[in-house]
Amino acid sequence: MSLWVDQFRPRTLDTLHYHKGLSERLKSLAASGDFPHMLFYGPSGAGKKTRITCTLRQLFGAGVEKLKIDQRVFLSPSKRKLEINIVQSNFHIEITPSEAGSYDRLVIQEILKEIAQTQQVDLNAKQRFKVVIINEADSLSRDAQAALRRTMEKYMSNMRIILCANSTSRLIAPIKSRCLLMRVAAPSPTEMHDVLKFVSKRAGFDLPEEVSSKIVDDSGGNLRKAILVLEALKMQSPDLTGSITIAKPDWETYCNKVADLIVSEQSPARVMEVRTKFYELLSHCIPPTVILKTVAERVVERVDESLKAEIMHWAAFYEVRMRVGNKKIYHLEAWVVKVMSLYKHFFYDIDMSGFD
Amino acid sequence: MSQGVVKGKGKEKETEKLKAERRENEADDRLWVDMYEPTTEAELAVHVKKVEDVRRWISEAFDGGPSGKLKKYRRILALSGPAGTGKTSTVRVLAREMGFEILEWRNVIGEASNITFDDSGENHASGSSSSFNPLEDYDSDYESLFTKFETFLNRASSCQNIFASSASSSKAPSPPQFHSSTSKPKSPSIQSSGSPGAKKHVILLEDLPNILHARTQAQFHAALNSLVSSLPSEPPVPVIIIVSDAGVRGEAGDDVGTGGSGLSRGGWGRDRDRDVVDVRTVLGKELLNSPYVTQVVFNPIAVTLMRKALQALLSTHFSSYSVSLRCATPSKDVLEIIITSANGDIRSAIMALQFACVVELQPRKGKKGKEKNSAEKVIMEAITRREQGLHLFHLMGRLLYNKRKGDPPNPRATTKDIQKDRDLDAGLQDPPKPPPHLREHERRTSRVDVDLLYADSPIDSSLFSLYIHQNYTQFCDDLDQCEGVAEALSWVDSNGGEAWYQGNPHRFHLLALGTLHALPSPVPRRSQKLFKPEFFHFLQKEKDAWDGVRDARRWVVDETLGGNAIAWRAGGWSKSDVAVELGGILKSRDTTSLMTSRPPASHRLFSRMPFALGSNERGQQLGEGEVNGGEEEEEEELGIWGVGKKDEVHNGGWLEGDDIDDFE
Repeated sequence: MSLWVDQFRPRTLDTLHYHKGLSERLKSLAASGDFPHMLFYGPSGAGKKTRITCTLRQLFGAGVEKLKIDQRVFLSPSKRKLEINIVQSNFHIEITPSEAGSYDRLVIQEILKEIAQTQQVDLNAKQRFKVVIINEADSLSRDAQAALRRTMEKYMSNMRIILCANSTSRLIAPIKSRCLLMRVAAPSPTEMHDVLKFVSKRAGFDLPEEVSSKIVDDSGGNLRKAILVLEALKMQSPDLTGSITIAKPDWETYCNKVADLIVSEQSPARVMEVRTKFYELLSHCIPPTVILKTVAERVVERVDESLKAEIMHWAAFYEVRMRVGNKKIYHLEAWVVKVMSLYKHFFYDIDMSGFD
Repeated sequence: MSQGVVKGKGKEKETEKLKAERRENEADDRLWVDMYEPTTEAELAVHVKKVEDVRRWISEAFDGGPSGKLKKYRRILALSGPAGTGKTSTVRVLAREMGFEILEWRNVIGEASNITFDDSGENHASGSSSSFNPLEDYDSDYESLFTKFETFLNRASSCQNIFASSASSSKAPSPPQFHSSTSKPKSPSIQSSGSPGAKKHVILLEDLPNILHARTQAQFHAALNSLVSSLPSEPPVPVIIIVSDAGVRGEAGDDVGTGGSGLSRGGWGRDRDRDVVDVRTVLGKELLNSPYVTQVVFNPIAVTLMRKALQALLSTHFSSYSVSLRCATPSKDVLEIIITSANGDIRSAIMALQFACVVELQPRKGKKGKEKNSAEKVIMEAITRREQGLHLFHLMGRLLYNKRKGDPPNPRATTKDIQKDRDLDAGLQDPPKPPPHLREHERRTSRVDVDLLYADSPIDSSLFSLYIHQNYTQFCDDLDQCEGVAEALSWVDSNGGEAWYQGNPHRFHLLALGTLHALPSPVPRRSQKLFKPEFFHFLQKEKDAWDGVRDARRWVVDETLGGNAIAWRAGGWSKSDVAVELGGILKSRDTTSLMTSRPPASHRLFSRMPFALGSNERGQQLGEGEVNGGEEEEEEELGIWGVGKKDEVHNGGWLEGDDIDDFE
């Protein structure tokens, strides 16, 4: 049995629950026959990929849903094998080049060349071009992006590219300018309520209002998360009544406690302790930006008003460094030390003024 | 200008003189290292205990020890240690003293070279060289070098060499008979030496086949394994393998590869070729841990032992060579410089000594004693300077103790050390006072020469930064100092581009200076202990967890495929989505028994995170060097940052922090 998130996902542009304007626009684009390269961006769980698949269906019809999953093997320059999962139909192909790490350029080049050099042979096909969907485009290396840029121009005649990213900040300008940018914003709370209601109806039960609002509050605009939580809740207590506490994933609770550690004591020894916790989080595959964001939010909840802005400023500052740098732990730790020192000085200064 | 000319002439004359001297006694050509090779145990500069270890092992291998049963387990002896610590000499001396014969394997470079060298240095062609025919050389019987090695190993360990005694006793110019029986004339030569009439043999492997080639390595391991698993022949032929720990400076590989970004995305960064020859690569992990292998680690030769050995060498040299008395015995200072700069490498010390005796070191007249001394020092340093000057432990100590001009001396320091510090301080210039708004950055002049640290550092900047990161907190008094170091680490790490060539070339200096600037001065002594970075441990964990993520994702996709006839949105789950958001559902699926399909158990690697307060496991301590087989191995296999672990490895526990000063 598949997850509700996958099971009840809308399949056509018409059945999408929110961002109607965007759906309209996509529909007319698909009909126009002059379909551009596209870049979908927005926070996770907002429905980017759902919209991409719906657009594909609009473009090619139901045939696009006949998928097969391949595993392709690429040879890196040092003759190491890279296995990449590829999902494809007759009309499109979906890849996640970042799976190949620093060899993503290789994957991009090979696949795009292959696609671009084959014409659409199906005479009944609605479109003359094939579509390449590139997931996690914002983690493409600069090399890969440069490679992409060239191919986008060269093979425009029989291929379109749809990029999917969380933010455009990591994409180079030439790529952004070659794409039609589609921002998929996170759904509003009411929209999320509607979707949750829809899902529970399809799953065959009634969702109490308070549970729904609790889930929505907790999810922070991430619809996927909300539906997953709903499913987990339903599994734990099938009647969904009484006092319901939403169990957070372990790592979130963990981040919470790390924030406690930071606020409760500021010393070099505590820095070491927090470092171990960060290592632990990192080794559980939690992306470092997520760690930094979550811990920073928790810390901000716990400190004086006047410190909040500064703490967030430094979180942003070290997040940028983290993206450029190699060893995430340095930046996480630098932020922690910064916050600790800010916090300590804050109290220290108060003490001094008390003396005067 | 004119002075230069005069000098040049002087030099010319000198070389002329030397040449003349050379012509007088051709025998002098040989290196002192060969000429004065130790012949008795007393002459060996190796620590008595190590020699005793080797001796006991060899006697146990032949006689089986007191119980007579040890023979089975004394099959392979691995001698490791830095270059020039007398590993080979020990074996040769023991061969002479205990009366066994050494069969040695030598790789031949190029198939055509059929010249063998024997002990005396004369070379002679083996029998068929006169009828050398290139066509013959590449006939169908061609054996790869490795096949030859295997043949050698088999025959040497199982067959008795009936002619060996006669061959070695007569020192005949023909290669040992054993050799011709091995296979062809073009095969590598086997050298046998030792006392005449010896019946016992030892196989000495020093010149190993190309271990770095993966297949050769596997073959080599297989050959050794089969050797070990078969019963010892009678009389037993133990194998002695000598491996010099060649420290590799990770400079070229500095941050090559993808770093963390690559890993967190896909984890393809593994499998980097391990390009370090050490005992572990040579013997393999299993073999090294098996009872058949004994490892003896040689330490760098102690200063006192080396001084004794060098003095003995000098006295023999100058008593026997009256001719060369013209160039004077090197002064005591020179000897001291040689000893200190050799870092326990006696071979390099003897080389330097020979050089010091061949070249006239005394500068022209009219210079003062001190200047002369410093000039000598410059020359000697130039010839004896070695890449790997500093041991990691001392490197970190020097940096983290942040000594500055005018530091109060250590209560345990000797007057000599204090004087040394004072001399050092006298040479250091005070920096100009910073303007008032930069007062907070005022520091006393540092006694640490960062350029020197960089030159001597055994590790690259990436590993260096990890070591600083692991250890800096203990050396800080308060958070502001921590902040300085953390900021430096963060800045240096994020400085530079994606590719290795975009990296900041001054990383090492920036790190070292940033750390020095931030640390308190003087650093309070709290008997800090240095640790190895935990980074690699967690990296390994992360990699395992990513495998878990992969499994979980496959599960999700399979679920989707199974549930609907039409595969829909199969690629919809990105890895980080799985790691971050799927945890809750996986947990509840685990607990409810109603579900027909359960997620793979490996998801717990990333979804389960119990929070344990204070479980502050601190990883391994960095000793001044220690040998450990287990954990370090894993760290090396990672090699993601293009660096293995290159701790200077030799025996001994960790030192108290205060001992670091004594070393300086």
